[in-house]
Amino acid sequence: MANGTTASSGLSFPRETFAKLTPGPYLHAHLKQPSSIRPNGRQLDEHRIPTVNAGSLTHSNGSAVVRCGDTAIVCGVRAEILLASDLPHPPPDDLDDDDLVEHLGILVPNVELSTGCSPAHLPGNPPGPLAQSLTYRILALLHSSDIIDPNDLRIKHLEANTDEDLPDEGPRQVTKAYWVLYIDILAIALDGNAIDTAWTATMAAFQNTILPKAHWDQDREMIVCSPRLAEATGLRLRDMPVASTSAIFTTASPLKSGDQAESWVLADPDGFEEDVCAETLTVVLVSRRDGTKSLLRVEKSGGAVVTTDLLARYYQYWVTSEAHSALA
Amino acid sequence: MQADRRRINAPAGGTAAPVFTFTGNEDLLQRPTRTRKADEHRKIFLRTKVVPSASGSAYYEIPPAKSTSSNGNLVPAASNLKITCTVHGPRPLPRNAAFSPNLLLSTHVKFAPFATRQRRGYIRDASERDLGVHLETALRGVIIGERWPKSGCEVVITVLEGEEDGWWGDQQQGSEKSGGWGMMSVLAGCITVASAALIDAGIDCVDMVSGGTAALVRNPESKTEEVVLDPSPPEHEIKAACVVAYLQSRDEITEMWMKGEVGEGTEFLTDQAVKSAMMTRTVLVEAVKEGLEVEGAVESFNGAPKAAKGKGKDVDMTD
Repeated sequence: MANGTTASSGLSFPRETFAKLTPGPYLHAHLKQPSSIRPNGRQLDEHRIPTVNAGSLTHSNGSAVVRCGDTAIVCGVRAEILLASDLPHPPPDDLDDDDLVEHLGILVPNVELSTGCSPAHLPGNPPGPLAQSLTYRILALLHSSDIIDPNDLRIKHLEANTDEDLPDEGPRQVTKAYWVLYIDILAIALDGNAIDTAWTATMAAFQNTILPKAHWDQDREMIVCSPRLAEATGLRLRDMPVASTSAIFTTASPLKSGDQAESWVLADPDGFEEDVCAETLTVVLVSRRDGTKSLLRVEKSGGAVVTTDLLARYYQYWVTSEAHSALA
Repeated sequence: MQADRRRINAPAGGTAAPVFTFTGNEDLLQRPTRTRKADEHRKIFLRTKVVPSASGSAYYEIPPAKSTSSNGNLVPAASNLKITCTVHGPRPLPRNAAFSPNLLLSTHVKFAPFATRQRRGYIRDASERDLGVHLETALRGVIIGERWPKSGCEVVITVLEGEEDGWWGDQQQGSEKSGGWGMMSVLAGCITVASAALIDAGIDCVDMVSGGTAALVRNPESKTEEVVLDPSPPEHEIKAACVVAYLQSRDEITEMWMKGEVGEGTEFLTDQAVKSAMMTRTVLVEAVKEGLEVEGAVESFNGAPKAAKGKGKDVDMTD
């Protein structure tokens, strides 16, 4: 290892060289200081504050650019129409409203990292494992959180009575078509913690998504929309889940027994920390209207540092912390 | 078509873009008009160093004109060009690559799915590949490739919002004439933004290349034809258009693309496109200067390493 600052200048490295050669010990050297400042100058539990710029894309129904440190992600929501008559498997009548969105697959998120956002993801290749896993995690979150009211996505039509119907029945309301939301998430710049930023961008884009007023035109037998902005409606989001990711750095190794090892939990890891840490923990919290917060999803991968005790402690911290309300 | 298993695909029934009806809403069907002079360029926003993890990067935008505000219309009147560019490299070629005495340049242009009125797919289509080739010829003429043997350099462009091919109302009224004029402005923007990103990456160039467009347009009222700089396709009835990549200090053109019926005015149209490129260059110079000031120009020219990215205090590294 480099002889540090006290050694002759010929043998000491500048910070960047040390970080590149031995990233693990470099991070460890920072963390084992009594005050535990990370190499990027943040405290252990300090998040980067995201900045949200919503509604900047012309051709999207809703859009947002979220910049969080050196990570910048743009999300565009685009609505297209799926005719109910085109469905190969129409939803069964007894299907729960909340399962309808998943059954039809009318939320279509895709995360694209091959935009030159970092040297690790160059274009010309199909989406890599990270992009695919981000896409599926966001899809799973969208389905499990039920934030979108399926009634917002239905295009209904009052069907007049035909002769075959009983005369005393009123006009029936049938769903003629559904709005399909294409959620395209592009990373412009990537420096760690893509999932939190991508999710924040999705939520911010949903917040300003507007759907035109659409109705079934009986004569033309198609759905037509009104171009008036005043008649369009926004999506009603049921709640606003917030994702928070931490990386866990540990000195444990197969040669060292667990109790000798030290470990640190780094909130909102940047690209360098993500590369060094094997274990990550993503928690998605929902704050209900009455102010209580509850867990929506917990994902943990790699390593064995996070125990249930630690998780409970951090859960308490997340619930009380106001750092995640930056979105609102 | 086989479904892409690595992405989430549209639902099985297939979807269609919403169709708007203007019966009863005729007031919303208004064609945007050009408010600037014929030899005036739209305002350009250009900034370098937008992607810290890349060697060089730039962002180019033509902000919306005031006259094209929505007026309560859901259908946007015109597009605003938004392009980001990152440069990765120069870096060593892979071991199995053949020897190359020059820098191998590769360009990649991709439209975002939400860039245009029609939603685009994730796979590059022919027009995007075509733009990539045009851009490569434009840049190859400026880079001093001999200084990096055995290396490669990638220029990656993402068009977040493209230019329109024509006025959307024309398609609404059933006339099918779209000449692909939007590509011309996009290419001019790509050339300028790539040039800024290349300079930001510190790749040696003989000069700064800038892109410019001019078009021969027909005035529907007076039935006369005139040449305008930096055409916005919804505002005009374009007969022909020309894009150039121009090196001002050497008076050279590295790339030229002309389309449409020009007649006898070929030379004049090219001259006007060059004039437009010279206007873009002033913005480019400002953006590059600004980028250098941020970095601390003196330090980087003396060969000192760039300022450390981390803001943390130095710590003792002895173990």
